[in-house]
Parts: sequence; structure tokens; C-alpha cells
Amino acid sequence: VIRPVRAAPESISEKVEKSIKEAEEMCSDDPASGECVAAWDEVEELSAAASHARDRKKENDPLENYCKDHPETKECRTYDN
Amino acid sequence: MAACAVYTSQSLNSTCSISTPTKTHLGFHQKQVVFYSASKRTSKRGSSSGPCVITCSAGDSQTVVIGLAADSGCGKSTFMRRLTSVFGGAAEPPKGGNPDSNTLISDMTTVICLDDYHSLDRTGRKEKGVTALDPRANDFDLMYEQVKALKSGIAVDKPIYNHVTGLLDPPELIKPPKILVIEGLHPMFDERVRDLLDFSIYLDISNEVKFAWKIQRDMAERGHSLESIKASIDARKPDFDAYIDPQKQYADAVIEVLPTQLIPDDNEGKVLRVRLIMKEGVKHFSPVYLFDEGSSISWIPCGRKLTCSYPGIKFSYGPDTYFGHEVSVLEMDGQFDRLDELIYVESHLSNISTKFYGEITQQMLKHADFPGSNNGTGLFQTIVGLKIRDLYEQISASKTATPLEATKA
Repeated sequence: VIRPVRAAPESISEKVEKSIKEAEEMCSDDPASGECVAAWDEVEELSAAASHARDRKKENDPLENYCKDHPETKECRTYDN
Repeated sequence: MAACAVYTSQSLNSTCSISTPTKTHLGFHQKQVVFYSASKRTSKRGSSSGPCVITCSAGDSQTVVIGLAADSGCGKSTFMRRLTSVFGGAAEPPKGGNPDSNTLISDMTTVICLDDYHSLDRTGRKEKGVTALDPRANDFDLMYEQVKALKSGIAVDKPIYNHVTGLLDPPELIKPPKILVIEGLHPMFDERVRDLLDFSIYLDISNEVKFAWKIQRDMAERGHSLESIKASIDARKPDFDAYIDPQKQYADAVIEVLPTQLIPDDNEGKVLRVRLIMKEGVKHFSPVYLFDEGSSISWIPCGRKLTCSYPGIKFSYGPDTYFGHEVSVLEMDGQFDRLDELIYVESHLSNISTKFYGEITQQMLKHADFPGSNNGTGLFQTIVGLKIRDLYEQISASKTATPLEATKA
């Protein structure tokens, strides 16, 4: 079984850029066509995905990440009582 | 190999039936035996061998299904995080599964994203020239069957739409939760799915605010410009108006987000006027009110007791009609600067379904970093979260009451 791997946020940014260029080209011929509308819909979907990826990255706290792997170290130890 | 777990919460005489699903297109696991509280008299007895998953929807507690409709980039995920927080515990993606899964699971709630029911992937939509908003790009039959199965306590194999690659990934197993939230573009589009919902919410973001939010979201992204953001909104608008927007007439609660009226000609989208439109006469849901139920009231909390900075805060409340339905509307214009303002406001609202004084303020404080925490969007999302908890508790209470009546009869 091949397990899908999450695409890196950097590659989403490139995809957004590419999709915008494509949408602009697609719409230069016929701005009301289904192809044009679908192309801009792809831009929206990728922009939303990119923004979600950015939010996830922001949530990363360096100390929290370290403590996930090293809960027994001095700076990470927490006791409930 | 066999992972079997039987949950029984009711007394031993509670009836559980065994049924073997025959339809395969539902996405059932092969050789899966499913126990669920017997509502049907006729039940087939299926013998199973090899790996099996036995689930018994705990006694009579049926899954409560909530629908949330909103356009992409309109704060669905923030709303979901506030909602799951009301029930306690953090919502996380399924462990060990697809890293791009859209599902969020916590102790009480499972949130599934309806994009997973796309019948056409990204390439398919481009070839046909349709958007994701178009009903032709979505499989409502599968959506109905799987939501119905989950509601009656049966686990399903739900597809995963991968937002990064734009492909339909292999399915993931979703177990029936206590509360199932289906969020996306079309939770109330199909009549059959709509009828399964115990409560429905529509997030209605005005065009001005949508534009301002997308600028904030996308301007830092390479390639995006004001023109591209505007073009994307304009291109999707006809489909949005045709297929998404009409769903709001079916919603039990609508959260409208509009530009402020406190600042003349404001188009920054930072100060917001937010309206919570609550349908009257919905079972297990009684609308929130300000001071006096059914009156029309305009209230500016700023004054001697409360100092507010520019542009201040203004509340309104009153009865109205919305698509021919009787509704109560609570409106907040402006934004909070400090916590004492919020507790002052909370103490003047009634029917908010809190368990203790200050629960709304506490919930808002817990997530002070979420977007909308200083204005009506955060406040009303939190209130709706509390109302859903109340609705869930009422439904579970009535479920445990009914079997007793049934045995008497």
C-alpha cells in the first residue's frame, strides 16, 4: 500500500502561481466560458489550501515540537501535582 | 487480527440487531458486522469469519447531525474549532491515516468536509468546464447514503478529496460519532441530506467582506494581485448565487457578516456588523434574546459603565421575517477592545444555554488568537456552539426517555 505524503507548503505556493497564470490565459479568449470559470475555481481551491498550510505552519512552536520528542528533558517536564 | 469491540450502555434487555450490509456501493468494509439499536423489526443474521469490526451505537444515543454551509475562505474552520471546543477536547485529523485528510475527530464530534463527495476531481472539472460549486461535480447519492448510515450508527468508508493534489484519494473509515458535523458548500442542497440534519447553519459573508478577507488571505501569496482575487470571486459568483446562496433559506441559524455602519464608507472589512438570524419554532432550539423576548431593541453598551474606543459597539435585537419564516435577529456592530466589555454584554443576553455565568466570555478568551475573537463573528459562533450543545443534550435526553414508553406499550 502506498501511503500518500502531504505536499509541502512551498509546492502549493508554486501551484497557486501557476494556476493564476493558467486562469488568466484561459480567460483571455472567452471570459464567460466554463473553462475560464473552472480555472478560477482552481485558483480559489489552491489559495485556500495554501492559507490552511500557512496556518498549520504558524501553529508550530519550536519548544512544543521539541517537547513532543523529548518529554523527559528539564525544559519540558510537567507535573500535574 | 480481528479487532472487535462491543459497547453496551443500556441494560441487557436492550435490543440490538445484527445486520450484514448487502450494498457495496455504500463503502462498507467487507465482512463487517454492525450492531445497532433495533428500529427495524426485520433483521437478518449474518455470520462472519475473519476480521470484523463490531460497533454498537451506544444504546439509544443516535448520532446528532449538524450541517454547516459556507463558501471557501469564509471562516468555516474557525467556526469548527470554536464548536468542538465547546464540547471539550481538541479536534485532530484521524491518527495514522492520510496526512491530507479533511476530517477532524474529537471525543464528541467528527467533522467531515463535503468536498470529499466530489464526483469529479480537479482535472475532471476543468475538462467539463464546471466549478466545485456546481451540483454536477458532487455525488449527492453517496453523501446521502453515508450520512444516513452514520446517523443510524453504521461506520462508512468515505472518500478523501485531496485539496493539494486535486485528486480523490483512497477512502478512510469513519465511525459513527455522538455529533457529526458536515461542513462544506452543499450540506442543505439535496433534500434527502437536508432532512437528515438535526440543525443547520449558514455563514453568509457579504461580497464586500468576502473581498476584504480574501485580500488579507491571498495578497502575500506569490502571483496574486487585486485583479486576480477579484477575477476569482467574479468568476465563481454565478454558480455561488445559483447553487450555494439559496441554501440559506433552509438554515435554522444564519450568521450574516456585513460592513460596519458605525464608520461611514468603511471598506477595510476590519470592523464588522454581524447578524445572527435564528429561526423560530425549531425543535430543541430557542433563540437568544436581548433584555425582552420579542421586542425590538437597539442598545449601545458604551457609556458611564463601559468605556469603548472608536467606533464603539452597537447591539440590536428584534423579530423579523426571513424567506417567509418567523425569525429573531440579534445584531452586533463594532468590536471589543477588552474582556470586561464582553462579560458586560453576556450578562445582558438571555437564553444563551451556558452552564455557568461567564461561559461565553471564557470560551472566547480561550481562543483569543482565532480570527473574529474581537467582534460579532466570534461571539455568535460561540453562542451557536452552546446552542448546539443544548440541542444535543435535549435530543439525547429524549432518546433515553422513549424506550421506556415503548416497553410500557
